Amino acid sequence: MADLINLTIDGVALAVPKGMLIVDAAKTIEKDIPVFCYHPKLKPVGLCRMCLVEVGTPKIDPATKQIVKDEAGATVIAWQPKLTTACTTPVSEGMSVRTQSKPVIDAREDVLEFLLTSHPLDCPVCDKGGECPLQNLTLAHGPAVSRYDYADKQHNDKHAPLGDLMFIDRERCIQCARCIRFQDDIADDHVLQFHNRGRAEEVITFSTPGFDSYFGGNTSDICPVGALTTADFRFKGRPWELKTAASVCGHCAVGCNTALNTRLNTRTGVREIKRVMPRQNEQVNEIWLCDKGRYGHHFTHAANRLTHPLIRKDGALQEATWESALQLISDKLKTVPGQKVVGVIGDRLATEDAWLFGRLMTDVIGAAPAFVSPRTASAYADVARAAGLGADADFKALGKGDVIVVVNGDVEEQAPVWFLRLRQAVVDRGAKLIVAHHRSTKMHRYAAGIARFAPGAAAQWVAGQPAELAALKDARNAVIVFGDEKLSGHNARALAQSLAHALAEAGHADKPNSGLVPLYPHGNTQGVCDAVDPSRGAMPESADVAWLAGVGDPADAPRAGFTIVSELFLTPLAAAADVVLPAAAPAEREGSYTSGDLRAQRFWPAHPAHGESRPDWWAFQEVARRMGKDWSFGGPEAIFAALAAAHPAYNGLSYAGLAAVKPQWPMVGRAEVNFGGTVYDNTAGLGARTARVPVGGAAEAPVEPTLADLTRPEPALYRAGDLIRHSAVLAGRLV
Amino acid sequence: MLRTNRAADIEKVFAKYPTKRSAVMPLLYLAQAEYGYCSPEAIREVAELCELDPTEVKSVTGFYTMFNESPTGKVILDVCDDLPCALRGADAFMAHCESRLGIKAGETTADGKFTLRSAMCLAACNRAPLLQANGDYHYDLTPESFDKLIDELGK
Ligand code: SF4
Ligand code: SF4
Ligand code: FES
Ligand code: FES
Repeated sequence: MADLINLTIDGVALAVPKGMLIVDAAKTIEKDIPVFCYHPKLKPVGLCRMCLVEVGTPKIDPATKQIVKDEAGATVIAWQPKLTTACTTPVSEGMSVRTQSKPVIDAREDVLEFLLTSHPLDCPVCDKGGECPLQNLTLAHGPAVSRYDYADKQHNDKHAPLGDLMFIDRERCIQCARCIRFQDDIADDHVLQFHNRGRAEEVITFSTPGFDSYFGGNTSDICPVGALTTADFRFKGRPWELKTAASVCGHCAVGCNTALNTRLNTRTGVREIKRVMPRQNEQVNEIWLCDKGRYGHHFTHAANRLTHPLIRKDGALQEATWESALQLISDKLKTVPGQKVVGVIGDRLATEDAWLFGRLMTDVIGAAPAFVSPRTASAYADVARAAGLGADADFKALGKGDVIVVVNGDVEEQAPVWFLRLRQAVVDRGAKLIVAHHRSTKMHRYAAGIARFAPGAAAQWVAGQPAELAALKDARNAVIVFGDEKLSGHNARALAQSLAHALAEAGHADKPNSGLVPLYPHGNTQGVCDAVDPSRGAMPESADVAWLAGVGDPADAPRAGFTIVSELFLTPLAAAADVVLPAAAPAEREGSYTSGDLRAQRFWPAHPAHGESRPDWWAFQEVARRMGKDWSFGGPEAIFAALAAAHPAYNGLSYAGLAAVKPQWPMVGRAEVNFGGTVYDNTAGLGARTARVPVGGAAEAPVEPTLADLTRPEPALYRAGDLIRHSAVLAGRLV
Repeated sequence: MLRTNRAADIEKVFAKYPTKRSAVMPLLYLAQAEYGYCSPEAIREVAELCELDPTEVKSVTGFYTMFNESPTGKVILDVCDDLPCALRGADAFMAHCESRLGIKAGETTADGKFTLRSAMCLAACNRAPLLQANGDYHYDLTPESFDKLIDELGK
């Protein structure tokens, strides 16, 4: 290949793409050149000097301009007299690099000795200890004793809050600027900067609230020392005490891959989540998480989780056994006509739960297809399924020639990590961005075209064939991200239809990296809607029996003579129910979610279920069995197999397939934390994209928005919901 | 408020630069003149004017020693005690300054008249000991000439 460059590193020959930096090239052959300031996701700055190596290039005879060969015919290498930073030097043809020579080792020792002049080396009480690049490199290269006068050591603040979510230990900071560069170049929140210079240089924030960013937690992962610690995890455990389970964030439609770190609480004997870490998936979240995903896990261990089934007796809910609760439910269901039963399922449940719930309603009880809550999103999920992203779609492949349109959505608030990735497609790689909204969002900063419409009039705007959408015609790929802000289900569906139509008109319907991307409210809106194929009509005012599984909004519940609620907490709906079934939290069970960009991804249990709570699918199956259905699914894998056989979007997919991994770049995690930070590598599964499924039915015309539509609150990342309000650390940010 | 009190000056500054953020340093000088130092409010105002995050502006005032981040005396005395000056007796001279004013370098006299600071090379090493008083150079100082200068400036 023409754009491969041949070089040798420590005598090992390799070929890497043109333009690659030496430090990256070495990584491809798993040779770790130590770095502090370099990070593969950030632009190199060369300011720590830890990565110094010897570099030589083929010697050229000045007279003949030919490469000089020795007697044996081998190319003579002209070694540069001084060491070079591997993090800023691109490879060149015939280059030779030494990463283990005496001058290189000496330089590392010198750099470390300087870094340690004022470093506290308080590893025993440092949260980073055990996964700290500085600690590791000090072990490898550091001096055993300090030649620096103790009295001359610089002493700085050790527990300085940078706002409510993050602390800085200024003595530990080695001024690598990774945190600042992340905030500047990736999050575009310029809320961290250096202050002062020389030995007094320190990282500060002066924003309100302090360190005001949705992505701040990532700086703790990439900080190469224990300077930045999260308010959530600091002093909560040592890395080597933590067990890890692969999971998927359910808080928004991105579906970030996570690693749940748990630790045994020896006092209670309960294994608890101590922190949520990013797990690399370059097509989903790369190595990032937003702070909601990172800190929004506390609901799992909330003290007021339901522990037992509850049955209403003498007007009050009382603890009961599963056996009696399940029997009561099935007895009740046997006595009422199927049409008088209404099922509603929330979009936070796993796809497998939803599949069984859907079958339970239609095939076992004989009811109408279940409703999905929130109703608005369920009104257009089939359209999004039909016109969604293609099989190989990847926001990272979007760039020059591609068009990204954001309609009626606030990407940073609704799908934070997509914001990072789409912004980079525009700012770093030249994709053209068009934003259409009734108000300003952070995305507007990067827009080449901006359109405004009246609140609630997004579909009307598209129907008017606006000039801004003409850009779709010349686009190589076109991605349209849309939200349902201020829209009724009907109007949101009309919007999705008209956008799908606009994509098709411009010739993007079948392209692999084009399609519609809905900003769903939660992580499995698509999966739940796929699985139950929801009823879209008006919900009956009343029913004989209603089963509400994970329904948050009381408006999505019909009045019923007998109400069953499956829940984590005693929500207002649960408190008014006749039977309450305690559900296992996502971290306590297996399952899969399908993201807004149509990727099905698995999650694994991190610890046993709380009390007697059980996965929802299990309760649905138990009721079905008591009603005479011979279901015997052993678990989510078998349910997924049944779904995959029946649902065209999932045909051919299996749990084994979703667990497949392939090498990703940059290479992060493994046993090494210098290069990528403390992000986990992905060994559990990258998931798989589900297929588009055509949808029938004519396009519907939008109608005037109602007052109810227009007064619905704007989407906000920290809008207090049933789950994140259990995270005390986020209390100051909830809206 | 800078925006209201110095509207014309602000206009003039912006006119000189292609982008708003480029105007951050001249606007900080304006703010310093207006408030006496770069107060937190001044920094937020400049940030708003330049369409920057206040953190970025704070970083500028932190980097450049001539932006004052806390209130100063009426007269700021920058005494150079960098190496060449030290070789010409700057350390002893500084000790005299401190005892004459009754404060340490970095502090302000109780009457709010003088702030004493140690400065990096002021580019006049050959005429040390020297200082800048509100930017004006005073060369070849002795304890006596310093005392005289203080009497004069303190009037
Ligand atoms: S806080 Fe950490 S990431 Fe930020 S500059 Fe200091 S060492 Fe680097
Ligand atoms: S971007 Fe969405 S999926 Fe990712 S961590 Fe945040 S809330 Fe979770
Ligand atoms: S200078 Fe290369 S890693 Fe810092
Ligand atoms: S060292 Fe003092 S003026 Fe140069």
